[in-house]
Amino acid sequence: MTATERPEARPKEKRPWLILRDRHGGMSAQLKEYFKEQQRIRKLMKEALKGEPRTIPQLATACKLDSSVVVWHVMAMRRYGLISEGAEQNGYLLYALKEAPKEPS
Amino acid sequence: MAEIRKRYDALVIGGGIAGMQAALDLGEQGYEVLLVEKDPSIGGIMVGLNKVFPTLDCSSCICTPRMAEAAHHPKIQLQTYTEVKRVERRGAGFEIRLLKKPRYINEDGCVGCGDCERACPVDVPHEFDFGLGARRAIYIPHANAIPQKAVLDLDNCIFCGKCDAECPPKCLNFLQEPEEVTTEVGAVIVATGLRLVPMGTKSEYGGGRFPNVMSPLAMERVQSGNGPFGRVLRPSDGKIPRDVAYVQCAGSRDRSIGIPYCSRVCCMYALKQALLLRHYIHGISVTLYYMDIRAFGKGYEQFYRRAVGEGVRVVKGKVAKITQVENQDLLLRVEPLDGEGRVEERRHDLVVLSQGLLPAWHPKGILDAEEAEDGFFLTPEATIRPSVTTSRGVFVAGVAAGPKDIPDAIVEAGDAAMAAAAYLEWTRRRAGSATTAWEGVESEVVT
Repeated sequence: MTATERPEARPKEKRPWLILRDRHGGMSAQLKEYFKEQQRIRKLMKEALKGEPRTIPQLATACKLDSSVVVWHVMAMRRYGLISEGAEQNGYLLYALKEAPKEPS
Repeated sequence: MAEIRKRYDALVIGGGIAGMQAALDLGEQGYEVLLVEKDPSIGGIMVGLNKVFPTLDCSSCICTPRMAEAAHHPKIQLQTYTEVKRVERRGAGFEIRLLKKPRYINEDGCVGCGDCERACPVDVPHEFDFGLGARRAIYIPHANAIPQKAVLDLDNCIFCGKCDAECPPKCLNFLQEPEEVTTEVGAVIVATGLRLVPMGTKSEYGGGRFPNVMSPLAMERVQSGNGPFGRVLRPSDGKIPRDVAYVQCAGSRDRSIGIPYCSRVCCMYALKQALLLRHYIHGISVTLYYMDIRAFGKGYEQFYRRAVGEGVRVVKGKVAKITQVENQDLLLRVEPLDGEGRVEERRHDLVVLSQGLLPAWHPKGILDAEEAEDGFFLTPEATIRPSVTTSRGVFVAGVAAGPKDIPDAIVEAGDAAMAAAAYLEWTRRRAGSATTAWEGVESEVVT
């Protein structure tokens, strides 16, 4: 091979999770809808929590969501460190957004 | 994870407390045991409980060492996330067909760090918390899971590859497939446990319709320190409950739903949860509506008296109906059995239905042991040989044989292990010089 000749471009290897996706028949329409709705609710909740901590009924009112849906999302966000639990207010707990962890210097 | 070998002395189906105990009792006698569990972790129902009655000891503190012992025992091979598809008689032993479900990780490489789980963007209801909490599409089953290995839930995966990018040992394996494996065993112990009577069975109680009507296992998780809420809250709105009711016999002793038997544990778990609520929430009111209190075990009557002494209210009366009223509170229509014949309406902000127990697994088409009329395994000589089924060489332990509490399940597991050991020794004697317990023994010589 001379310097001017270029090796044939190797076909790009397919990512293994995409092979699995194809084998599985792709993502179901139901899951796509579910994930889209999850993203929408999380955005609403993060917006509502930006100013001040809120209880679940307050969050439900602010986001116009059913309070049981808000409970589930708050607990999911709490579990994965996005929300912290605060003081009690009239029989309900206050929840606040956690600050994003700073990158280690 | 070790490959499944061609032969074992015994197969134990089910990695709950009874299955683990049976496997350990056989392993300690030197028998080679294959312990198969359908879920990604062993521990069964018990590892998800908050406390045990009547001692109020931490349930997982008792269960977790047992799990570790079973997982690390030199004579026990643990096979999680695997289903038993067929148990077929071969002479005095059995040929077993298993289906190993893919976790989509290399188990030897996964260190259980959870980085894949934190990277995954999809939250789904967590089965371990009865849907009240969340897990990710790739997840470690729970904090006390054994093995501490991730599992990918393909049905909720969006195939973004973030788990793979974040995995430090790079152990994701998206190309795994389900694998059928065959092995042979000399005896089988079935310890497949329980499920609760479905929430909607007594439709007049609103289970599955009203968010504040809960199952007792969901309440166990809510009361647990590592539960979905981290403390006791109402599922409908996160309120700290102030007035809780327990409705007894909500799916037991009821011919109208085809469950005439007593589930034997509901009185005690309800009293335990009621007492713990009194401990956890200052000033809470807890009322238990019951037909009879059946506190039959060692120390159980004393526990009942303690719960009443510490402020749990017990009302002898049948709850006829539950309706949801404003603020998602619940109105119970109750007839107190005090001889006055009146009907009352009582309001509570949370209700727990003391649901009865059903068998979690049915052998039909898989195993030739018979079921009794109630759906649990038939044990024809229940009084003197409680673990012996209608199939030679197949033994049963725990709730698979009928409703029972943890101490009874453990005792029965010991009995099943001894019966299986006796069966293996009997076949070994018959086989003479055979190298394994059952080899060379034909079924017709086994009487």
